[in-house]
Amino acid sequence: MSDELDRIRREMHSVLQPEGVRPDDSLKITRRTFIHGSLIFGAATVGQAFAWWPLLNTLDIAHAAETPFKFAWISDTHLYPRSLNTRFVDKVVRAAQEVQAMDPPADFLIFGGDLAQLGKIEELELGVDLLKEIKIPQHYIPGEHDWYLDMGKKWGELFGQPNWTFDHKGVRFIGLDTVSRGPDYWTAKNMTPEERMGHMATLDGTVAGPWAGVGRDQLDWMEKTLADWDKQRPVVIFSHNPLYEYYPPWNFWVRDWREVHEVLKPYAKVTNIHGHVHQVLYNEIGTLRSIGMLATSWPWPYAPEGLPKLTKPMIRVDPGDPYDGVGWSKIDVAANDQLETEYIMWGRKEVFVQSPEDHDKHVSEVIRPRIADNMWPYR
Amino acid sequence: MTTHSKIRCSLRRFPLIGGIAIAAVFAGPTSAHKDPVKPEQLKAYQEVFMEEVRKGDLLFHGDQKMAEQLGVADDLSKTGMACAMCHPMASDTHPQSFPKFQAQIAKFATLRDMINWCIEKPNQGVKIDPESEAMKALEAYITWSNTGSVLQPGKF
Ligand SMILES: [Fe+2]
Ligand SMILES: [Fe+2]
Repeated sequence: MSDELDRIRREMHSVLQPEGVRPDDSLKITRRTFIHGSLIFGAATVGQAFAWWPLLNTLDIAHAAETPFKFAWISDTHLYPRSLNTRFVDKVVRAAQEVQAMDPPADFLIFGGDLAQLGKIEELELGVDLLKEIKIPQHYIPGEHDWYLDMGKKWGELFGQPNWTFDHKGVRFIGLDTVSRGPDYWTAKNMTPEERMGHMATLDGTVAGPWAGVGRDQLDWMEKTLADWDKQRPVVIFSHNPLYEYYPPWNFWVRDWREVHEVLKPYAKVTNIHGHVHQVLYNEIGTLRSIGMLATSWPWPYAPEGLPKLTKPMIRVDPGDPYDGVGWSKIDVAANDQLETEYIMWGRKEVFVQSPEDHDKHVSEVIRPRIADNMWPYR
Repeated sequence: MTTHSKIRCSLRRFPLIGGIAIAAVFAGPTSAHKDPVKPEQLKAYQEVFMEEVRKGDLLFHGDQKMAEQLGVADDLSKTGMACAMCHPMASDTHPQSFPKFQAQIAKFATLRDMINWCIEKPNQGVKIDPESEAMKALEAYITWSNTGSVLQPGKF
């Protein structure tokens, strides 16, 4: 896998990034700085990254708005039925209360997918019920855990079209569906809906394959949607999966990232906010910046390779504390062309690593894909 | 001169080693040590190992049937959580760092201690017998999945 990943990642960078530009140590990350070419690329080590990354838990990611406003993000609640797991329920209740208590209030809530754990009607309905406590407008995009039991039937009944767009105070927002176009891995193997969901719900499974994608039809829709938009004005895109290639073995990507970037290339200020990775993540490729959000349910470890060099990693969490490493996010859109995200991580004052020992990759590891889901009785 | 002395030394020990070998023949199956290892044997040993890896992989990923087969279905998890949900491909399990002082348990711990801690705390299950096949299978899968990692015992 590693060689293949190396090859394709080199390809991604050669397609999308200028070569060898590095920021100096005094750099503050702002949108303007990045637009003018200070992309970090190449040999930066984790240590170097610590030295120049601004030590604050908000990101200055500059974008224009006519009047300042805030919105909130919650994702990856992975709800089981209440009778099985109350911890996940409690954390959604807490996130909902905190979003509702924002003062001044957020203009809207984005729910970034993986509301349910196994796509069950009762899990999805439980999510709706818990998030009803939030009285501001809500916009939902699907996660793979919401979809593959009934192929999005219940999700569609509850939330409607999975991709959508709206303009708000000078910013164009787009919600994408990056989960529903998985290649059919179930028909030939005569899987039950539960088996299909089970394979999809296993992040490190080998059966569901490269399911994450935007799809030609949706790319065309996005192109049309953006056609009347001023190329210098801000665009914010919500997706469940990151729109670049971080770690394909866990589907931390969309397989058609080339086409996505092709559509977005003409636009100078594009921010993608995504879920699915359950971790702090930041990347810039070409004109697209990407921000990964926390789950409320549980944190994933960083992938063994491919962590973007622009990411200041989140702190290594205590597995004994269900509130550590998880939470939700506030996003401030300011009138002076700026947009800031703030990670609300419940277990911590310091969201980011403070020393190499705080990083979950401090113990170096080499890992390999699982085998048992490709052997009898699954094959 | 030195060489000569070594040979003499070996010759003197020989009867003793022979004695141990003979005792071992009576005590248990050591005939495998008498002949060079055969490809069929290597294959058989590997198959035993990989079968445990397979079982451990299934347990680690929450497979109910395997948990029942190994008698731990009621113990491994009571929250719906499975090991792999926080440890895809057994990442972040760090078998190469054990034994060590484990902060969560606040004691010097082995990998098996930590597996049982995860069963009890995040999974809210019931500790399993450290000598059980289920535990050995989990250990087999976790270490196999981390093949190639460098031993760093004691590392935080
Ligand atoms: Fe998720
Ligand atoms: Fe997901």
